Order: sequence, then structure tokens, then C-alpha cells
Amino acid sequence: MITTHRLPEAEFTALAAGGGDSTVMRHLRDAQQSKHLMLLHAITEAAGGARAIPGEAAFREGYGLLTRIQTLDPGASAWLLGLPHLGGWAHDCLIRLEQGQAPDLAYFACAAAAVAVRIGVPFELDLPVRDGRVLLPGLGSLRICDQSLWIQLRCDGERVTAGRQFEAASRMLVPDDGSGKAVPQWRGTPMVRAVTDGLAWDVLLETGDPYLDRYTLPMSAGLSAAEIGRWQHCVQNAWEILVRHHRWAAEPMADGISVIVPLMPQRDSDLVSATSPAAFGAIATSWPPDPVTMAETLVHEFQHVKLCGLMDMVPLVNPGGEMVYAPWRQDPRPAGGLLQGVYAHIGIARFWRAQQHAENGPDDVLRAQAAFARWRSASDLATDTLLRTHCLTEAGVCFVGMIRDQGRDLESESLPVKAQEIASEVALDHWLTWQVRHIAFDAAGVASLAAAYRQGESFASQVQPNAWIEEETRKLEPAVRSRLLTTRYLAPARYRELCADGALPLSEADRLLVARKASAAVQAYRDQIVGSADPQPDAWIGLALALHQLPPSPLQTAFAAHLPLMFDIYTRGCRSDPLDLAGWFA
Amino acid sequence: MTSQEQELTSVVPDLRDIPLDRLADRGGSALAQAIALYRKRLKENGIPLSSFNARI
Repeated sequence: MITTHRLPEAEFTALAAGGGDSTVMRHLRDAQQSKHLMLLHAITEAAGGARAIPGEAAFREGYGLLTRIQTLDPGASAWLLGLPHLGGWAHDCLIRLEQGQAPDLAYFACAAAAVAVRIGVPFELDLPVRDGRVLLPGLGSLRICDQSLWIQLRCDGERVTAGRQFEAASRMLVPDDGSGKAVPQWRGTPMVRAVTDGLAWDVLLETGDPYLDRYTLPMSAGLSAAEIGRWQHCVQNAWEILVRHHRWAAEPMADGISVIVPLMPQRDSDLVSATSPAAFGAIATSWPPDPVTMAETLVHEFQHVKLCGLMDMVPLVNPGGEMVYAPWRQDPRPAGGLLQGVYAHIGIARFWRAQQHAENGPDDVLRAQAAFARWRSASDLATDTLLRTHCLTEAGVCFVGMIRDQGRDLESESLPVKAQEIASEVALDHWLTWQVRHIAFDAAGVASLAAAYRQGESFASQVQPNAWIEEETRKLEPAVRSRLLTTRYLAPARYRELCADGALPLSEADRLLVARKASAAVQAYRDQIVGSADPQPDAWIGLALALHQLPPSPLQTAFAAHLPLMFDIYTRGCRSDPLDLAGWFA
Repeated sequence: MTSQEQELTSVVPDLRDIPLDRLADRGGSALAQAIALYRKRLKENGIPLSSFNARI
């Protein structure tokens, strides 16, 4: 009789509040071990089928070795079963089996060898050599000097030999934290041993395992010693920030995150981070510009890791669901996927709430306050969407309700007007841009509304056209203006430089908007729209932003609620003054 | 949610104390069901990735 993992309700509540202590992390990790055992069993059954799969013999030998280790040292097998590497590999196998492709069974023999080397258990295994190396997941890799595709790795309990070309003490084959003696042919996986105020975090910097190279950007393979040193330094600095100012996140992170995967961004200015539910315990990120950003990224991705672990245990969303707006994405998202984002951003908001008090320089304080203002305000909108679209399970409704309460608690904290104003403007720009890009209307409905406008009928008495969400319904280039508005709080000094030198390709109206000459900007955008034969979606968004810099008026509400429809009516023949058209909607 | 026990029952079978070579014998249909459910969810969702460009 098999029982299932259970999660105390208090831990569920703690997770919903964005927290979760070491005990919660242990329960999530325990469930991941069972999940990996379950996947391993599924792979074993598939490997036992009639069709021969390459590497099957090595897999079976590895399986036998791990069975032996499980009896000898349960903690050691738990270490292996908890590695994100193993999760990444197991999911890859399942997907390949579903697609009728051969899984990489031999990798598992490498994994079993790694744990045997780690605790000094005697074994002999034939292991695959790839790109001249034998991988020992979680430990490192061994360089093989000839062209062999397979090599026998042998351990007598104390010494490890590979064919006739390598011999070393097993205790020397460990990750590289910079303190050990170099072993010829051995490359330990880089490791950071971060310690601050007595709280330690050991985390691998994985740059060589193919099953953790599964993110939207490639892994930064082949880092130089200097680059690895920079990463280690960065993680240590971020850890200091987390321990001193965000202990609620640092303590469980030390228990839950064992691997950081450095990513290669497409552009230097990008900061891209990711997690995968296939690799619980791993966080991937490109190089962050500063330790505070690294700390924020770790908090953000750790939220995803926790939620992935919870959702493995307790399904919170139903499959499918309509496409919706997410305040942190440019593309439409499935409603269920929104849960991951809102959970991550509750963590981010908590991070910046505390960080504003840890900063000293005025620019750093502004960044923290504006980021706090921006992300706390996203919670209510996103949780309402989740609850409205009925994409949640019963447990999901309960979970999201608690997230919403947490968001409202964050909203109740007062912030300086300037930070709120910056955050509101960036959020509005994002929302308007998303609407213009993705909300489509049926042409007949738009034509009918345009006729009603021309004939002077009231907007309130009209039937609204059918609307739906498309990938790209109107062409809108990435706006320099939007980047500049974001830079205003992400990098205030850079923002001042860019505004002062005037070199950015901004329209006159944009320059007036940025200079907060709102009335003049409104007039300039109107002139730009009316004076152009081409559609000017960017100018329409600018016009809405400029109006929002003025005292409250019904026009602001009309633009926030109806901009794409207004734009379509205008571009389909009603080329009047944009404010007159907006007034019709108000 | 099982309010009496103040615990949530998960869909993940607890396999940690079962010897690897006995999984098939001890697991039986409960394990097969859990694997089928997980595979179904994997098919429905793919392997969703969170990817976030903080400069957007």
C-alpha cells in the first residue's frame, strides 16, 4: 500500500503568503524525490520493452548500483534523487519516449557513478564519453584523452580509475569551490560557498550538464576561471543582501536551491532569468548588472521553484483557459500561467519593500520604491483575472485568495508620490501597449461604431464589437520611449544622461512627455496623429500617457479602457481630432 | 482540502522508503496511476518555463 505525500495546511498558507520556511522546503524536496523515483520507474518500464534502446545495459547497471546505495546510505541516494540534473534528464527521457525517440539511458549510469564516487562505494561501470568528457552530475567531469566513446570507471572505495588513463582518490573528485587542490583531468563543477552572518548556502554554478541546458537561452558554457570568479563573487554579494535584509527568502533558499545556471543573453542589456518545473532546485539567469539585481532575481525565481514544487503536489490550475493580460509580459498568457507570474511578483514586491530601507543613495532608494510600487499594484489585477476566468482548482482558488490578501497588505503601505507616479506611468504604458498589440475587434462592429460616431449617436447606446486576443493584431515597434520610462527608475543616472544629451530617436511629442510638459505633449501628439497619413499607434499611446500627466478627467478613463477601439475607428475613416473621438467614449 | 487533518493530500506517491528493485512489486496500480496522471499533465502543459526579461 502506497501513501501519498501530504502538506500541512499551515505550510500551504505560508507558501501562499510568499513565504515557506526550511520545513516547508523539506516537504517540497521530499515530494520531488518521490517524483523522480516515479519517473525513474516509468523509464525503467519503457527500457524493459521489446525494442532495444542504446545505453540500456549501462542504465541497468546504474540502477543496480543506486539500489545498493539506497540500502547502504539512504541520504546519499536522496542527494542524487534531489538533483535538478536528474529531473531534467528524466523529463527529457519521458518526452523522447512519448515522441518515439530513444532516451539517453546511459546518463543515468553517470548519475549513479557520481553518488557512488561521492560516498566511496566500490563499483565498476561502463560510462559514455561525450565531447571527450565523462560527466558525473552534481560533481564535475573527467577529461578522457583518447577517442573512446565508452570507458570503464572503477572505484575500490577509495580510488577511482578510468581505463588506464586516470586515477585519483575519490574524495578529490568534488565540485570546485576554489579551496581544493587541482586534480589532473578533473574539472569540478564550480561551487559557491556563500556565508553571511552564520547562514551558509552551497550552490553549484552548472555550465556543463546538457539536461540543465534547457532554458530559452543557452547555458554559458566554457566560462573562464576569471568569469567563474566573477559569478562566485556576485552570488556571495547577493547572498549578503538576502541574509541581511530578506531573511524570509534566504533561509528557505539555502535549503531549496542547489544550482544556478548562468545563461548567455542575446543582448548585453538584457537580464533574462528562468526556472523549469522539470528541474526543481535550479535557477537560470544571465549576468546581472549588480548584486541587488541578482538578489531580486534569486527571490523572483525562487518563488517559481516553490510554486512548481507545490503544483507537483497539489494541482492549482486546470489545463487550458483563455489568454489574458499579464502586467509583466509583452505576450498574451494562458490564464493558468498567470499564477506563476503573480506569485513571482508578490515575492518581488516583498523584496523591494524591504530593499527601499536598505538603500542609501537617492537613485537606489527611488529604484526600490518605484519597483515596489509597480509590482505590488500588479497583484490585484492578476489575481482578479485568475479568479474571474475560472481556471483554478478548489485549492487554487484558496491559494490565489491568500495571494490577493498579501498583495492588498502590500498596497496599504505608503510610498512617496514620485515613486508611485513613475510606477503608474510605466504600468499604464505597458497595459496600453499590450492592448494595442493584442486586442482585435470584428470589422463590422467597428464600422457600425464608426457610423454611430459620425452620426452623433451616443456611445452608451451602441452594441460593442466582438473582441478577442491575437498574437499581433497591430504592428507596434518596441518604443524607445517605453524603455526610457522604465530606465527612469531602473537606472535614474542613465535616464538623466539620456534626457540631457538629446540623442535618443524620440519624437517632439515624446520629448515633451518625458519633460513632463503634459499640455504641450498632448497637443504635439494630436498634431502628429492628425498630420500623418499612416496609423500612429505609438502616438496614440503617447497621447494617453500625456493625458494621464494632467489632472484627472473622463478622457483618461476613456483612453485606458478603449484605446484599441478608438484607434481602429480612427484609422477606418473617422479622422477627426483624437480628443473629440475620445470624448465620445467618455 | 482535508480540514479535519489540517493537511492537503498530494497527488505524489511517497516512494522514498521503497527499495528501487521493489518499486514494481510494491507500487502496483497506485504508482501506475500516478505516472499516468503525471504524463497526462506533462502532455497538457508541456514543460512550462518561466522566462523573464527584466529589462522589458
